[in-house]
Amino acid sequence: MLEFMTILIIKTLVAFIVAILIVAYSTWIERKVLGHVQLRHGPLRVGFHGLLQPIADGVKGFFKEELIPDNADKPLFVLAPIISMGAAVTLVVLIPFGDKVTIMGREITLYLTDLDVGVLLILGISTIGSYGGILGGWSSGNKYGVIGGMRGAAQMISYELSLALALIAVVMVSGSLSLVDIVNSQTGLWNIVKQPVAFVLFIICGLAEINRTPFDMPEAEAELACGFNVEYSSMKFALFFMAEYCHMFVFAALVTTFFLGGWHGPIIDGPHWFFLKTFFMIFFCVWERSTFPRLRYDQVMSFGWKILLPIGLLNILLTGLWMLIFNI
Amino acid sequence: MELVFLLICGGLAVISSLLVIFARSTLHSALWMVFSFFMVAVIYVLLHAQFLAMLQIIIYAGAIMMFIIFAVMMLNLRQERDAKVNTRISKVVGVGALIVLFLELMLVSLGQNLNAIQGPITDTLVATYGRVAVISNFLFADYLLPFEVVSILLTAGVIGAVVLAKRVK
Repeated sequence: MLEFMTILIIKTLVAFIVAILIVAYSTWIERKVLGHVQLRHGPLRVGFHGLLQPIADGVKGFFKEELIPDNADKPLFVLAPIISMGAAVTLVVLIPFGDKVTIMGREITLYLTDLDVGVLLILGISTIGSYGGILGGWSSGNKYGVIGGMRGAAQMISYELSLALALIAVVMVSGSLSLVDIVNSQTGLWNIVKQPVAFVLFIICGLAEINRTPFDMPEAEAELACGFNVEYSSMKFALFFMAEYCHMFVFAALVTTFFLGGWHGPIIDGPHWFFLKTFFMIFFCVWERSTFPRLRYDQVMSFGWKILLPIGLLNILLTGLWMLIFNI
Repeated sequence: MELVFLLICGGLAVISSLLVIFARSTLHSALWMVFSFFMVAVIYVLLHAQFLAMLQIIIYAGAIMMFIIFAVMMLNLRQERDAKVNTRISKVVGVGALIVLFLELMLVSLGQNLNAIQGPITDTLVATYGRVAVISNFLFADYLLPFEVVSILLTAGVIGAVVLAKRVK
């Protein structure tokens, strides 16, 4: 029991620290890649090629002045960034980084938990996390904030559906709701080959769920002056910011898990493949941000309901037929 | 260990459901409801019903409450309205009805040993009586008191909604 607890605590700490480091350095990746795409250098001064910039930003965040607007709903205003960040970090628990390894004679699994309802828990917690942004916008007592929060709520409801439909197709092919089983079912042939439509659906809806650029309706700088986080300053703003990048990491890790075969890869299976694919997906998120302009709000809504949802349903129908005919 | 968790989560669920009723701001009561749903989901997990717990979070705490919060934000119910209704007559009637209901509930507790089926539910029992009979035995004999309390609560909820909606003119 004691040994089990110790291993669990160490694993949790390691996973948490790795996640936070990846979150910190994906801000660096984002600024660097965006810079080079736009023929600039990006951060260059703090450390070698700006490598210490995330740490400097964190320190700056702690020392900034905290402002709470007069007409803000104070408890909710404080709670909102905590919900955002808490849900984002909780999702890290579910990610399978690798298979079993043997360290000092003990067999240790490179995932914290293997729930038989993992896929559902991801959907549930990501919905809870989106309350953070919505409440943050509403509680700051600012009209831009309220509009941002409402857009966030509407977008969440619309795209969560198609996201879940894309995942149902994956679950049908893999035959399990557990993430570890889903990865194991992809030995040899990845789900991106079996489910290309679900892959594209998942990428689009996932980008909408984590508010990346073509779908960053809740914060749309040009229209809403930063939307839901307009009144936030100092570490509370930094928490929203970190939650966003944590979501990006989780999104990249989930694409890897569901579609790109997780820790499987040519030559030797292992967590290095997982991290390689995850970093490619993080790069992809930055890449598409610098490529696509923001959509109009009504376009986002009609795209979600009139195009993605029918495609998701059709994909499930075809997957079911295919499985029925070929008797898989 | 499980009992401690159950007591904590159950207590929090009850307290937050009370706060749903007593919170002054509409959005706050909606949020307490989310919290209450969440705690109920934890209780499901303690009962080893993980699937039910996940559905509770996704459907109730997630989707339905998101719609409710969206509606609250759309209607902009930020100002706390003071309830100024003439309540003197309704208080007298209400207390009278409460006493009558309480007496009726006393009668209900007499009916608890009416159950036709004794002991745990087994396959043979279900085969003899049928599923509906077993469920109705549970509902109308074993758990008659909670059943009646819940039905009173639901009626009160419906009447309350009508009263609240009527007040705005």
